[in-house]
Amino acid sequence: MATIMFGFGYGEGFPDHSIASVEPVGENRILIRTSAADVGQGIQTVAVQIASEVLKLDPEYFEIVEGDTHTTQNAGSSSATRQTYFTGQAVKEAAEDLLGNIYHHASQEFTTNHPEMAIKDGRIFSHVNSEDEMTIWELRDRLADRGIELKGRGTFFPRTYKPDPETGQSERVYVGYSYHTQVVEVVVDTVTGQVTVEKAYSAIDAGKAINPAGVEGQVEGGTAQGLGMALMEEQVIEKGRTLNPDMSRYLVPTALDVPEVETVIVENEDTDGPFGAKGIGEPAMIATAPAIINAIYDAIGVRFYRLPVTPEKIKAALEQN
Amino acid sequence: MGTRFVGKKVNKVDARQKVTGEAKYTEDLVNDFADLLHIRVLRAPHPHAYLREINVEPAREVAGVVEVFTAADFPELTEFGLIIKDQPVLVGIDQKMRYLGDALALVVAETDAAALRGRDRIELEIEELEVVDNPLRSMEQDCIQIHEDHEIEVTHYLDPEMCCDNILSDNYLDKADVKKGFAEADLIVEREYQTQFVEQLPLQVEKGIADYDEESEEIIIWAASQWLHDTQADIAQAMGVTKDKIRIKQPVIGGAFGKKEDISVHIHLALAARELKRPVQLIYNREESMIAQSKRHPQIIRHKTGVSSEGKLTAWQTEMIMDTGAYASSGPAVVRNAMFHCTGPYQAPNVRAACYAVYTNNTYCGAMRGFGATQMAFAYDSQMDVIARELGMDPADFRMRNAYQPGSTTPGGEKLELGVNVRETIAEARRLSSWREGDNNA
Repeated sequence: MATIMFGFGYGEGFPDHSIASVEPVGENRILIRTSAADVGQGIQTVAVQIASEVLKLDPEYFEIVEGDTHTTQNAGSSSATRQTYFTGQAVKEAAEDLLGNIYHHASQEFTTNHPEMAIKDGRIFSHVNSEDEMTIWELRDRLADRGIELKGRGTFFPRTYKPDPETGQSERVYVGYSYHTQVVEVVVDTVTGQVTVEKAYSAIDAGKAINPAGVEGQVEGGTAQGLGMALMEEQVIEKGRTLNPDMSRYLVPTALDVPEVETVIVENEDTDGPFGAKGIGEPAMIATAPAIINAIYDAIGVRFYRLPVTPEKIKAALEQN
Repeated sequence: MGTRFVGKKVNKVDARQKVTGEAKYTEDLVNDFADLLHIRVLRAPHPHAYLREINVEPAREVAGVVEVFTAADFPELTEFGLIIKDQPVLVGIDQKMRYLGDALALVVAETDAAALRGRDRIELEIEELEVVDNPLRSMEQDCIQIHEDHEIEVTHYLDPEMCCDNILSDNYLDKADVKKGFAEADLIVEREYQTQFVEQLPLQVEKGIADYDEESEEIIIWAASQWLHDTQADIAQAMGVTKDKIRIKQPVIGGAFGKKEDISVHIHLALAARELKRPVQLIYNREESMIAQSKRHPQIIRHKTGVSSEGKLTAWQTEMIMDTGAYASSGPAVVRNAMFHCTGPYQAPNVRAACYAVYTNNTYCGAMRGFGATQMAFAYDSQMDVIARELGMDPADFRMRNAYQPGSTTPGGEKLELGVNVRETIAEARRLSSWREGDNNA
């Protein structure tokens, strides 16, 4: 077993923020502008789900601009477990801003009050007069004729505080913390020193899983990566020279090494992020290496203090005992 | 909360294009350019040496080689880096190479084969220096200084006995009274942990294309970056141009895990495209990627932990020394992230820590998933397990007894109020794995 925490965002008073915008484009599309890099973790999907939720419009209608320094603004990095929280919230605020603008302008078109209107599937309509109905894109065109741009913008810029240089003390070091406990079952072959991780059980604190499949995927990938760190991965650098700069000598887990992972997502919707979400990208991997090392101790009574714990090290330790 | 799309297993928006092969990675974009030139980088032959002479003429004579660039061609260049600007774009004459990834020359050719042939014909004269491959050696008084031409700023809290020549960053925590905490302890456990160099190993290695628009004087770069606008700013400052002249277009990214935080192909591409006014490509192979780009920092972590016989932590002291390799990259932030996580999710009323990032001549280290906190977690959660066994307590019970709850304070003195769900994760993992019965409310 291992239990970990992770403070997400850059923290320590660094000006950490994300800027996004959402606007109707073309015949029936909504464009999300963000420079957040999707490295495979799924921030684009998360952004679309959040904008869909706010605008009550199916994800099929959305597209995301290709990352470009000249057509997007700063979203910060895809690191520090920050994009769901930062860009997710920026997109939420941008979508809410767009929705507010839609209501504002449509109420003028309909000459009605905001509470008497609604939006669904890209149609804006009035509860008072059933003839008052138009699509988001019709509204955009009408406004464009009058020189008004229909668009929503959002920036999320939560604060942290720089710690004291002597004591490291600060009122708020990170914007928030995620937690993860993982239990692994291992079998140690005392003849070969080979460790097999048979099963992993994870309980990860996500605040709110915007996409539960994405969270499970992160935990599975993180478990694989943590397993590699615990048992096999090491770039051997001697006198400044790497001895194994290729994948035949730098060993990483394959599908056959990775256990089945059972994940429970703890969701208390208790953050300032979108729908109460926290980031889980890094915490998803961090628990695995200590969980495996602790499980090896439980199995054979040998404590390892140096990673990776290769079969050679296990054999040597068992022979010593 | 009733939601239609949030909280649902919505398919990934990029799944179809990735599965069908429609997704455009850098290597797919190569086909959009006729006339693409190829770059190969000559890298340092020794991890720590002065470059005394470089003769690129033999490379120029190779058929197909268009141009060979060295630092002498770009006197205006300044160094680059994510936090501290300490990394040269090209090592100049009488300057130092500090690891095997340092670039000495760029060979640009009509074909990759010609670029390689040219690269292998460049003649060098170097003056070899001691190779510092261990952070403990690096901290010794008589150790050669690796960045003698950079001003290294240690704090004035650094132990005066310590040699600061190769210390990139020193950091401290002091919460309440750790001496008092140890005095109250019934058991004190001291252990040392060590972690290794880990490669992020994204499937896609570093690749890029650049083109130059003569009219706007804009350099357009297609290369993956985890932070477009920061990469843009670093390229611009190193080249001495305004940011609007550097335009980066993000291709589909083939994985990163922290490795695509740093500059890799970007500045070399930008220089060649601008000078030659032709589109250029630069594609690393796996070996080059592993040697030239960042690693996970190896850390030596010493934890001293005091605990009462009832299993309550009373004091926690951590010393950590981390090999940051030849350049700073994310090191100054990684060392601090590790430090602020030194007790993990466990309430220690008294905490002290001193954490150092130290230069060596190893491949530089940077961001990788967990950013220092991964190494620290191996150490603190092993430490918790060791203590539980010594106390004869169930490890899950022991964790539960010390896990944060609302109102707990972190090593940084931050009072936790929102979203302190660690106990719930312990209880849930325990239930899921049918962990032996224990007291979840201990």
